[in-house]
Amino acid sequence: MELTDADLVARVLLDDDHHAFAELVRRHQSTVRGLLRQLTRTDVALADDLAQETFLRAYKHIRSFRGEARFSTWLYRIAYNCFREDARRRKELVGIDEAKWQAEHDPQTVDPALRHDLMQALQILPLHERSAVLLCCQNGLSHDEAARVLDIPLGTVKTNVLRGREKLKRALAAWESK
Amino acid sequence: MDEQLQEDWLDARLRDEAAYLDDAGFTATVVQRLPPKRASSKFRATVLILVTILGSALAYVLSGGGQFIMEGIARIGSLSLLSVGLLALCSALVATAVAGAAAWSKAR
Repeated sequence: MELTDADLVARVLLDDDHHAFAELVRRHQSTVRGLLRQLTRTDVALADDLAQETFLRAYKHIRSFRGEARFSTWLYRIAYNCFREDARRRKELVGIDEAKWQAEHDPQTVDPALRHDLMQALQILPLHERSAVLLCCQNGLSHDEAARVLDIPLGTVKTNVLRGREKLKRALAAWESK
Repeated sequence: MDEQLQEDWLDARLRDEAAYLDDAGFTATVVQRLPPKRASSKFRATVLILVTILGSALAYVLSGGGQFIMEGIARIGSLSLLSVGLLALCSALVATAVAGAAAWSKAR
């Protein structure tokens, strides 16, 4: 039987089990790295550095995970904080590494032109709307969970998701009818 | 296209973008950067118990077979009721402060 995230966390807490933590990393690396890639405007190297920092912080502070939220939600919050701290440090925009981005995705499943337009539309959104849309619409978090991750009121999350979606729909209007 | 269909379409496109990222050595890199493993909790508990037993035995032998305990009890017995009450109050306050600090540090 496969162990749950809570079981693995308990093993890390009890015996400092590196294998259990490695399993947690394996399970969540894709979503955490994916989220950070979107937040960093697809700077793959920076996103992976921040993802590593996210997991190292998670390990260091694993005692503060109380199981009230899903482990993934807790990780997203750490990832978002890592991203914000880094952005504050840099205080500069990073560009889109289009070649690397394309290489990471399977060109068979989605029209590359649509993917490009969607990426562009996402990058145009202000950070607060982009974060809310990515967490709720792409990563499947509830508004309440996203509010915890972003540390903002629930109503603000709902507004940001609504506005972000409206902007995305407007930007991709030409694709909807296809 | 109605509103619901538009929302489904947008969510589906966003989820398409969240393609699974191959690990490609990421987990191994993170595990390599973890701090060294702590001693297991069983090992730490065993060491703690052994050290406590050894320390107690040493204190017992060096204090002349625990004579100081009997002397201490006799001294407390000779104190006034007020002094014993104050001593108990001080002990309770110290214990409460230690427990409060432990609870606060755990809650952080």
